[in-house]
Amino acid sequence: MASVVQPLSIRQPLGAWPRAVTAQPPARVRPAGGLGVRLEGVSRRFGAREVLRDVALTIEPGSFVAVVGRSGSGKSTLLRMLAGLDRPDAGVVELGGRAPGVGSAETRIMFQDGRLLPWRRVIDNVALGLGRDARGRAEAALQAVGLADRAAEWPRVLSGGQRQRVALARALAAEPRLVLLDEPLGALDALTRLEMQALVEQVWQQARFTAVLVTHDVAEAAILADRILLIEDGRIGLDLVVDLPRPRRTGAALAEVEGRVLRRILRG
Amino acid sequence: MLSWLLPVLLLLAWELVTSAGLVPARRLPSPHAVILAGWKMLRSGELPRDVAVSSVRAATGFLIGGLLGFCFGLAAGISRLTESLVDGLLQMLRMVPHLALIPLVIVWFGIGEEAKVFLVAVGVFFPIYYNTYHGIRTIDAGLLEMARVQGLRGWSLFTEVILPGAMPSILVGVRYALGIMWLTLIVAETIAGNSGIGFMTMNAREFMQTDVVVLGIVLYAVLGKLIDSFARRIEKGALAWHPSFSL
Repeated sequence: MASVVQPLSIRQPLGAWPRAVTAQPPARVRPAGGLGVRLEGVSRRFGAREVLRDVALTIEPGSFVAVVGRSGSGKSTLLRMLAGLDRPDAGVVELGGRAPGVGSAETRIMFQDGRLLPWRRVIDNVALGLGRDARGRAEAALQAVGLADRAAEWPRVLSGGQRQRVALARALAAEPRLVLLDEPLGALDALTRLEMQALVEQVWQQARFTAVLVTHDVAEAAILADRILLIEDGRIGLDLVVDLPRPRRTGAALAEVEGRVLRRILRG
Repeated sequence: MLSWLLPVLLLLAWELVTSAGLVPARRLPSPHAVILAGWKMLRSGELPRDVAVSSVRAATGFLIGGLLGFCFGLAAGISRLTESLVDGLLQMLRMVPHLALIPLVIVWFGIGEEAKVFLVAVGVFFPIYYNTYHGIRTIDAGLLEMARVQGLRGWSLFTEVILPGAMPSILVGVRYALGIMWLTLIVAETIAGNSGIGFMTMNAREFMQTDVVVLGIVLYAVLGKLIDSFARRIEKGALAWHPSFSL
């Protein structure tokens, strides 16, 4: 029987998780403890267009949050702010009580297009920026996504799904406490997407980082997330807790969640 | 294999036409006469000396101009400040045919080694500068962003992303520069020199030794081809990841 997700049971004080320092390389992707996210009065405009206005949001450490919305609704901007790649015009963004910094080992992004370096082999792509014991940690991460046997390949010989697995491994290798997923499965075919959703869920359950998934796919959000946020007109239009047992594949309850979000999007 | 067919046929035709006396040997020597001339000059030590002199000039000029071009290209590619400082000037100078400098160079350096090395260096500088600069500027911005998120900065960003990302373009510049290197050297040695392959052919013309003149031309072709194969091999090694260079 799958475990029932209880968001409150894994609540940790914000930013109170010291990173474990071990002399030995970890045998696999090890739980590191999630990072809490807090947004307060966040606004961002591009020219005359205000993509986010006065957004307030708190994300529990270790939870899985999906952000959905129409194209250009500001969901990617939100994600980029969490990564430190973009700054709000007004308001505060805090990760574990601190401002986001680009390149911090605590935050990683998995991009839609993978963004593997074509001139580095798979293992070296995963090891990118790891520093200490890069090789061992990269191997462990590849193992976790089931691609240990493709370590020595060039990225271009991999299939789209395999490339995204490598991108996932790279995002996980540093044992981040916040993983930002920017429509990571958007370009995959339906079957590969289902496989990847299961994999993302599995690694998240093992490592218990905080996950923020930006997606167009409401069904995907319902399958993976503890909580679905709908962004419309620069605000959080819907904040829905999904308290269903995992793994979720099909079922009336899942369809109900999906339906609620879709009805809201279509109404807007 | 097939690519050798036409050269061999051409050589045969040349041999037939010249041996049959259809073209006087003073106009165009036969292939075997050229080979004979080459053999004679090889044994006298003239040929190795001239080839060595030309090669050293080519290599020195290439290294100096190439390194400078690479450094300026890097600086302009990486920093907007350097770009706005130097790129405008360099793009302007790039339009001046460097061989137009020959009269000035002779005034500055005479007809010694410096003149030839200088001209080669100037000729080589621009293609390498431009392609390094352009290569860095056209690196996928998404990859740079990804690298920043992964915590890469400074030297590691340079070695992991910037240099390999610009490498295809840089190597295009290198191959182009190798062609310019030969061209410049031939012109420089022919116009103003007292040694080297270019001088050898010009000197032979004075004595109507057309076989030596043709030998010089053949030498340029052979050396050019050797260097190009060498450059290709480097490309294959450095760009093994690239779909266009893999088998």
